[in-house]
Amino acid sequence: MKFVDEFRDAELGRAVAGEILATVDPGRHYKVMEVCGGHTHSIYKYAIDDLLPENVELVHGPGCPVCVIPMGRVDDGIALAQQEGVIFTCFGDMLRVPGSKGSFLDAKAEGADIRMVYSPLDALRLAKSNPDRQVIFFAIGFETTAPSTALTLMRAKAEGIENFTVMCSHVTIVPPLRALLDSPDLRLDGFIGPGHVCTVVGARPFEFIPADYDKPIVVSGFEPLDVLQSVHMILKQLAEGRSEVENQYKRVVPYEGNLKALEVLGEVFELRPHFEWRGLGFISQSALKLSEAYADFDAEERFEVPGVRVADPKACQCGEVLKGVIKPWECKVFGTACTPERPIGTCMVSPEGACAAYYNYGRFSQDREAV
Amino acid sequence: MTDFTTVPEPECDHTTGCITCGDEAVAMTVLKLDSERGLALCADDGGRRETVEIALVEAAEGDVVMVHAATAIARVEARDLGGRELGPEAIPA
Repeated sequence: MKFVDEFRDAELGRAVAGEILATVDPGRHYKVMEVCGGHTHSIYKYAIDDLLPENVELVHGPGCPVCVIPMGRVDDGIALAQQEGVIFTCFGDMLRVPGSKGSFLDAKAEGADIRMVYSPLDALRLAKSNPDRQVIFFAIGFETTAPSTALTLMRAKAEGIENFTVMCSHVTIVPPLRALLDSPDLRLDGFIGPGHVCTVVGARPFEFIPADYDKPIVVSGFEPLDVLQSVHMILKQLAEGRSEVENQYKRVVPYEGNLKALEVLGEVFELRPHFEWRGLGFISQSALKLSEAYADFDAEERFEVPGVRVADPKACQCGEVLKGVIKPWECKVFGTACTPERPIGTCMVSPEGACAAYYNYGRFSQDREAV
Repeated sequence: MTDFTTVPEPECDHTTGCITCGDEAVAMTVLKLDSERGLALCADDGGRRETVEIALVEAAEGDVVMVHAATAIARVEARDLGGRELGPEAIPA
């Protein structure tokens, strides 16, 4: 397919790998964070880190929307799903995320009507075809996914659908990045920027990274050549003593973002004062709730939600993995008590989660990384 | 008449990824536009068809759009098409 095949060309990939080798200082260790879980997935799937010099280390960031949902939020969702007359809908990966007393899948097995959907629009269709039931959509995702929820809510409002609500757990990427950069136990040289979040918000919101922290960030696509070229652009900035926002993914990302999408987000959502992130704790203004104009569609307004707070399991080190402090395989329960089939931590649930990606694709290169 | 109402059977294989859960978008070609309802029928590389919200992008039939959670969030621009144009600085001629 055009725009895809060109970016999987092995010969070009080897050429970029050669350029990377020529750019690095052999005496320096480089630590580059891929913010987005989609990049983590690509890196393992295409074994991109095998093409990099040993002194260039890729560190996984907090950008998997499933991985950052705290256990209490899952418990709240299950409580809603168990209410009489409710059809509870969510994306596939969310079904397997463990709460304190089990996952959505467990609750479904116990009789709750929980259904997987591809999109909020599918959930709205369910509401229209089940007018005697209340359909709740559990909305997760960064700025990439929020416009889809927003458009669906606008459609529901325009069509006067009264049995459709959203439990909004959309999060924003800039506040956790700032929290990470302020974290004392973290040393990073640069960032691979989240390409599809930037499709919506643009590259401008990331200007604080070079301005306040003097580190380069390159907004990147997701094909193997995209990621390799972005790593090269970051290393080149470092070699030349520059710190800038650069856009490798120009074919998709306008620097100012998608203005129509931003307008829609502004109408439907407002910032929550604070939101709990798994492993990162409470972060100010890091998540979205429905605006006053859409309060009728807010499941947390219309239904009783317990507001559960649950500490992460002690054995689980998702927080340190999300901050890039440890590698997935350095977690005490990785691959033993915690596997994609029976996850303890959220990073093992979604394929975009660092632990699941590592378990599925990368664990055989562990020896090489340990050298 | 194009059927925009089909709901595909959801399937989620956690070993290969559920695209809606991650920050992932899929390149799809616009086959048919229904501007009045803000919807488009699109097809991916493998021929899978999906009804997509198209209100956020300016796209015509035949354009390639990036689709996430059944919403087109960007139109892919042809100006960066092709390996050489991908990154002349990074890729030796």
